[in-house]
Amino acid sequence: MIRVEGLRKSIRNGARTVDILKGLDFTIPQGQFAAIMGSSGSGKSTLLGLLAGLDTPSEGNVFLNGTAISYLPEDKLAQVRGKTIGFVFQSYQLIPTLTALENVLLPHELNADAKEDGLGRARELLVSVGLGDRMDHYPVQLSGGEQQRVALARAFILRPPIVLADEPTGNLDTTNGAHVLELLLNLNRTEGTTLVLVTHDPVLATYANRRIVLRDGLVVGDEMNASPAEAPREAALSEG
Amino acid sequence: MGALSYRSAAKIAAREMHSSRGKFFFVILSVAIGVAALTGVRGFSSSFRASLLNRARSIMAADLSARMFSQPTPEEQKGLDEIAASGVEITPVTELLSMASAAKTLDPLLVSMKAVDPSMYPFYGEVELAQGGRLSAVLMPDTVVVADDLLVRLNLKVGDELKIGTKLFRIASVVVNEPDRLSGNFAAGPRVLITREGLEASGLLAPGSHAGQRYLFKVPRPRSGALISDAAVADLKARLEKLLPEAQIIDYRETNPALTQGLDRATSLLSLMSLVALVLGAIGVAMAMRAHLQQRLDTIAIMKSLGARSGQIMKIYLLQTLLLGLVGGLLGVALGVGVQLAFPYLLAKLINVDTDFHIQMVTVVTGLVAGILTTLLFTLPPLLDIRGVRPILILRRAVEDNDDPFVTAIRRKITKNLAQIGAAVLILLGLAAIATTLSDSAVVGRVFSLGLVAVLGVLLGASAAVLAGLKYFLSKTRPHLPSSLRHGLANLYRPGNPSAALLAALGMGVMQIMTVYLVQQAVVTELHISAAPNLPNVFLIDIANNEVDGVRALLKGEHSVTAAPELLPVVSSRIINIDGVPADQAKLKNFPKRMLRSINLTWSDDVPPGTKTMEGSWWGAGERGVVVALDERQAERLGVKVGSHITFAAQDKQMVATVVALTKSDGQHAYSRAEFVLPPTALAGLPVVWYGGVHADPAHVGDLQRALYKAYPTVTVINVAQALETVRAVVIQITYVIQFLAAFSIFAGIVILASSIAGTRYRRIREVVVLKTLGATRARIATVFSIEFAVLGLVAGFVGIAFANVIAKVLLNRLTVAYHFQWMWTLGALLGTAALTVVTGWAASHRILGQKPLEVLREE
Repeated sequence: MIRVEGLRKSIRNGARTVDILKGLDFTIPQGQFAAIMGSSGSGKSTLLGLLAGLDTPSEGNVFLNGTAISYLPEDKLAQVRGKTIGFVFQSYQLIPTLTALENVLLPHELNADAKEDGLGRARELLVSVGLGDRMDHYPVQLSGGEQQRVALARAFILRPPIVLADEPTGNLDTTNGAHVLELLLNLNRTEGTTLVLVTHDPVLATYANRRIVLRDGLVVGDEMNASPAEAPREAALSEG
Repeated sequence: MGALSYRSAAKIAAREMHSSRGKFFFVILSVAIGVAALTGVRGFSSSFRASLLNRARSIMAADLSARMFSQPTPEEQKGLDEIAASGVEITPVTELLSMASAAKTLDPLLVSMKAVDPSMYPFYGEVELAQGGRLSAVLMPDTVVVADDLLVRLNLKVGDELKIGTKLFRIASVVVNEPDRLSGNFAAGPRVLITREGLEASGLLAPGSHAGQRYLFKVPRPRSGALISDAAVADLKARLEKLLPEAQIIDYRETNPALTQGLDRATSLLSLMSLVALVLGAIGVAMAMRAHLQQRLDTIAIMKSLGARSGQIMKIYLLQTLLLGLVGGLLGVALGVGVQLAFPYLLAKLINVDTDFHIQMVTVVTGLVAGILTTLLFTLPPLLDIRGVRPILILRRAVEDNDDPFVTAIRRKITKNLAQIGAAVLILLGLAAIATTLSDSAVVGRVFSLGLVAVLGVLLGASAAVLAGLKYFLSKTRPHLPSSLRHGLANLYRPGNPSAALLAALGMGVMQIMTVYLVQQAVVTELHISAAPNLPNVFLIDIANNEVDGVRALLKGEHSVTAAPELLPVVSSRIINIDGVPADQAKLKNFPKRMLRSINLTWSDDVPPGTKTMEGSWWGAGERGVVVALDERQAERLGVKVGSHITFAAQDKQMVATVVALTKSDGQHAYSRAEFVLPPTALAGLPVVWYGGVHADPAHVGDLQRALYKAYPTVTVINVAQALETVRAVVIQITYVIQFLAAFSIFAGIVILASSIAGTRYRRIREVVVLKTLGATRARIATVFSIEFAVLGLVAGFVGIAFANVIAKVLLNRLTVAYHFQWMWTLGALLGTAALTVVTGWAASHRILGQKPLEVLREE
């Protein structure tokens, strides 16, 4: 469960202070798929970053499963992120010196408490995202869609209760985008994770249970979607 | 798009520089430190060298001297007059042995007379008088200046009269030191300085007298006020050698081997250090610019997709480079001038250096030009890379698959990089030109640049090989390695991470720093030996065979004697045949035939102290054959080589000796006086006198002289303590300066290397962010980077140090200095390099590690 209380973020831009988030309060229950929407500059990526503890808010706090994370020391935060959050970036952010398999395995290796056989799960995940034959390839040897699929597998390796995705299909063509989305939704469903997805694509948002709309740093819309769209069909994915 | 004007290009370049000031700080720092080291080292060493050369001249009291063995013939005199007419100053110095006595007691004493013209002599340096004042003020036709020893022996004091020949002279002062004491005759008897008129009036210069004559020459200073060039001295030397075939002509550099060798070595070392400083700076710049352009790939791709041509983009970065070179160069020159001005003050505590240092425009301009040129040259290859950037990079940062066979890959690389190869050739030529200008020698320039290229090539090859080896190791062991180690090693192969280039650059830096250190250390050790505080400074002449044990005992008991005495047996002999040619028909070079009738032989089982075997080999202990070792210069004059035969005669015994070794002496030991050394058995039974050399505390040489005179009145004591102290002081100055400048160069090198390592940090930022997002702690990230840096440091250190040893060995060999492999230092340097890379890597990444991930992600 994610709870946000009075979240504000301002940054100094020269002599000027810019308020990016102007006080947000909401809760996302366990297992929900929430889409955060808004135009460019509305503060959605900043919000996602604060949810993941990638930055410190100017005011307010973020609680992940009841724990306030916003003001934890850097290394403590890193541990929280490792255990609790899977993150998917718009531009994949794979470590270029590691193979696909090693990239997926990395969070497992970074987390000293991980008990499960990481290698087995990493392979399994790569097979499930359709990259069973590309495990030993380096990121540069993979296409954008393939890199994002590796990033997805990486986000899920530790079975995190929360997955945060920042425009995960933004850099991909329609086919690859659909494939990645389908994988994301399937993983979300099978793993039972809370999924927060930042997007400005209204079509993408139709798949979510809930839509939170930001404008100028404020929540201007928060509505539930009783009948989310089905995941894109396999037939549309065969080209990916 | 029209042509990009220089104005617009400059605007873009300046904005880009402004926006990444931190990064360019390292580029400017590299250039500045390189140029500062160059300007500082070069400026200071050229001033220091000039002042040292003057000191060296004062040891001969002239630029050149010609030792004559007979009066000049009328033609020779005419030639000398012509030389004098061309502006060269000439003054004769006559030395002879004579008897002098106190006017009151008439006790006779053998004295070593030296007649000079006090208005001319000495051309350089000063005659030190115990009572102070100048020689020309006290030495008159009716006065003499004498050594303290004479006063002791004849029980006289200043103001008393001394009878020389038929005339009485008043003792005007006591001579403590003559500048050319070490280059004059080392004959028996205390010194008496007299004017030429005085000597003539004494009636001692009768025809047939054994007076030795030296002419001292002073080359006129060029009208421009510049220093007298070595070429002008060499010209005069050649002219004199032709004019006076029987005379021994030596120039001021040959007077004291220890000093001139020290000077030569210091000069070579210092010019090496200047070049090293320059190349280190260039490496720093090349690394930083490469990293910078790598980061600008997106910008470049965007500009290209907007229609910019490679040439236009290159214009921007070329201007940037020029600006960086200029700013760095100016800063470096200012720093270098500061350093040059600070050196004398910093060194003043250690040595008394003349503070006549002035800023030489040539050095400043050379430094600035060299800075800009090397910056340009070394950034050419990354600049040319701009041509290869494809606009598609904006959409996808793809790297071509590289599964080609090795040879094909190499061939493709060569054909694809023709421009880079052209640039490399240009760099080589540019470097050669700069090196030639800096070292004032085309040979040095050529050797240095070719050597540099060879070493760089081998270093790159070796680095690539080590990296390939590691990669192979990694591929085999990958799943079994601890993840930090695996990740750290894998980072060496980060795309766009020029590990091989960084390794080569680091290796090159380590190599140069280590070479400077090794050469400096060996040279300084040698100089310390030649300036050792216990070298003989008092020489004893004509010790009879039955007195030798007594003299030895006396010297051992004397408190002023600080080292074991060296005693040298001398057998008078003559040469009657060289390689089957009778002595009177032998072809000799600058060696009068009559000198063959009076030579000194000595014996020794081992190589005597202060002597080096240059050719052939010394005999083993207990050698029973008749073999001989002689000084290489003497061998040249006599026209003998290893394997030649010389027939010596001593009393009624004749022996044919085979030359087995040619030697070089440091001129500082008793044995340096021996011309021919044979094994003891060869000279057994021949009449012998002994010569001795002993080190005494310079302040108490008088006591020693008195004690010796009391016990052994026939033994002559020659005191060169003061003269040797002068040389010693200069040699010690050289060692300090070398060490100081080497330390400065090494420090500069370390700063530059550190900044090239720091320059790679921008590539790591994104990686740190991703790792943090995935849950990595700072400790974990630091471990991964430390492994990467440590491996880089160890590999670069290993390759660099290995090469440094090879190069130091070759260089030292050329300088005839012994090379010793130094385990401790090598190991220390290896670990030091690894520590340096890790620490600078950490220091540079520290800020990144502390950064909030979103700050970086937001910049995307």
